[in-house]
Amino acid sequence: MPDFALSPEQESLRDMARKFARTEMAPHAAECDRTPRFPEEIYRKAYDLGLMNLNVPTEYGGTGLGLFDQCLLVEELAYGCGGMTTSVIANCLALEPILLGGSETQKQRFLTPFCSAYNFASFCLTEPSGGSDAGALKTRARRSGEEYVLDGEKCFITNAPHASLFTVFATVDPALRTRGITAFVVPRSAAGLSTGKDEEKMGHRASSTSTVRFEGVRVPVADRLGEEGEGFSLAMRTLDQTRTPIGALATGIAQAALDHAAGYALKRQSFGKPIGEHQAIQIKLANMAQAVRAARLLTWYAAWTIDRGAKGTLESSIAKCFASDAALHVADEAIQTFGGYGYMKEYPVEKLLRDAKLTQIYEGANEIQRTVIARELLRQYA
Amino acid sequence: MEIVVCLKPVPEAETRLRVASNGTTLDVEGVKFVLAGYDESALEQALLLKEAVPGSKVHAVSFGPAPRTEEVLRSAIALGADLATWIEGPSGPGADPVTAARVVAAALADVPHDLVLCGKQAGDDEAGLFPGALAETLGLPDFDSVVDLRWDAGAGRFTFLRATDAGGERWQVPVPCVIGLQQAWNDPRTAKLPNILKSRKAPIAKRAAAEVPGPASVPVGFALPPPRTGARLIDYKTPDEAAQKLVRILREEAKVFP
Repeated sequence: MPDFALSPEQESLRDMARKFARTEMAPHAAECDRTPRFPEEIYRKAYDLGLMNLNVPTEYGGTGLGLFDQCLLVEELAYGCGGMTTSVIANCLALEPILLGGSETQKQRFLTPFCSAYNFASFCLTEPSGGSDAGALKTRARRSGEEYVLDGEKCFITNAPHASLFTVFATVDPALRTRGITAFVVPRSAAGLSTGKDEEKMGHRASSTSTVRFEGVRVPVADRLGEEGEGFSLAMRTLDQTRTPIGALATGIAQAALDHAAGYALKRQSFGKPIGEHQAIQIKLANMAQAVRAARLLTWYAAWTIDRGAKGTLESSIAKCFASDAALHVADEAIQTFGGYGYMKEYPVEKLLRDAKLTQIYEGANEIQRTVIARELLRQYA
Repeated sequence: MEIVVCLKPVPEAETRLRVASNGTTLDVEGVKFVLAGYDESALEQALLLKEAVPGSKVHAVSFGPAPRTEEVLRSAIALGADLATWIEGPSGPGADPVTAARVVAAALADVPHDLVLCGKQAGDDEAGLFPGALAETLGLPDFDSVVDLRWDAGAGRFTFLRATDAGGERWQVPVPCVIGLQQAWNDPRTAKLPNILKSRKAPIAKRAAAEVPGPASVPVGFALPPPRTGARLIDYKTPDEAAQKLVRILREEAKVFP
């Protein structure tokens, strides 16, 4: 029989993240959103508690959790603040290419010192001229003796202004399209690497996002992940791993929206009774609750599938796509439940809508997820 | 220094408590039990002392049924307790505080203790009887409402501040003793993920509860507070008018004073 019950260990992990989200993150969420501010004191605590390098095995100094357990934590954190959660889990995305494509020596050389202190890493794939069409990226890597020389620009890079390590995807020959893409690990100290100004974003404003420029950045061959041309597949395999936690992040935002809406529906009176006793609001809440639970279960199923060793491309795409659409819908309905107050920044629900929106776009836009879902699906009928 | 800290699993603060159909116990079916409130402060105090006094050990002790007692001890280990003893108790609601104190005192007979810390009262029944009853059974002095306990190595004594209604009292007390900690003065730490994972595999010494006289007290009945009736708003234009109207209502309608 499938079992949806969490183990006592999983419950204690979840309780810890819930406590951290509600006592450390949530009280500062509105201020960090409004200012905006990158709350280093909260991220430092998250690091100290082991929340930042969840996917890195303990032998390299990480927390070493499977995807299911990561998802439990990410949902709880996102309940406290979606933007902070993006910054807390961005290391998982940036380090995954090293975990999947790095040699044992590279893992020890990069991951161990990185995880031993409070550090940020950034995953550099998207470019100003394209994100979804990753095969068309323009950042060049030219071989020069025992080094590569990197030139180009990446954009929308999470945590870049604070990162000490970058995993970078560049092409050795644009004519080769996906087969030219190669992955590198580049330290912040590399000459010619610079990050741009913090972008002004609609949501996730506690997180920091900027461009990363490479101007003649010299990278030793020893810092290349895998062989030349293996970068595209490495990026896709990375996203197969990290897409599911975005489903969890979206679920956390959606749960927060539902909780706010249901709490308000019990208190707010209209026509002589709480609005939660009006069928119009009951139908909203019922639909929101369905969306939240379906998002969570699809996320759990994708994580469970991948933890069992399967690739899980279809399952993780479904989870990410459904949960992020659900989060936007549930946040929207939460605002509607609050009425005029919901539209006011003084109340917490409009932030949830702005935060939910990004989950439909980053780590593979939902249009790409649907393309992937359809391709995987039709393969089963061919 | 051997520090024993007594912990009681209590229902999570958000729990909606139900009275059992017998009317004399709480229905704990499906209730989530946690380490909370005063006991969290007591454990944090134990860990602070351990960090301040080299060579110290913190030994968490709890009396109650599975799974809640084991879970509370595992959270104590995740937070930094070195040893854990689980005194197995009957299922359902816990024993009365005096009986629990007698059971724990019997178990402490072969557990070294320079200091026994407890929350000054439990986070659920808030009886405040356990520390005194434990000290009495062990034949030790006890102090409650304590904050900021420190070890004075030169004097070989503990010093602490005792919170009172009038302010504070500073005390110096000998070893060993029982101390009931005030709540929420020391910002209890959060367990780190790797320590939570390790705590799942840590050994917990399990022992049967000693036969003790009792029960020391038996609840006659539990009842939920009556539902609140609606609040009443006073219409007024000036604060003076509001005060006059309020005094009239308190005197003539509520008859709070003549």
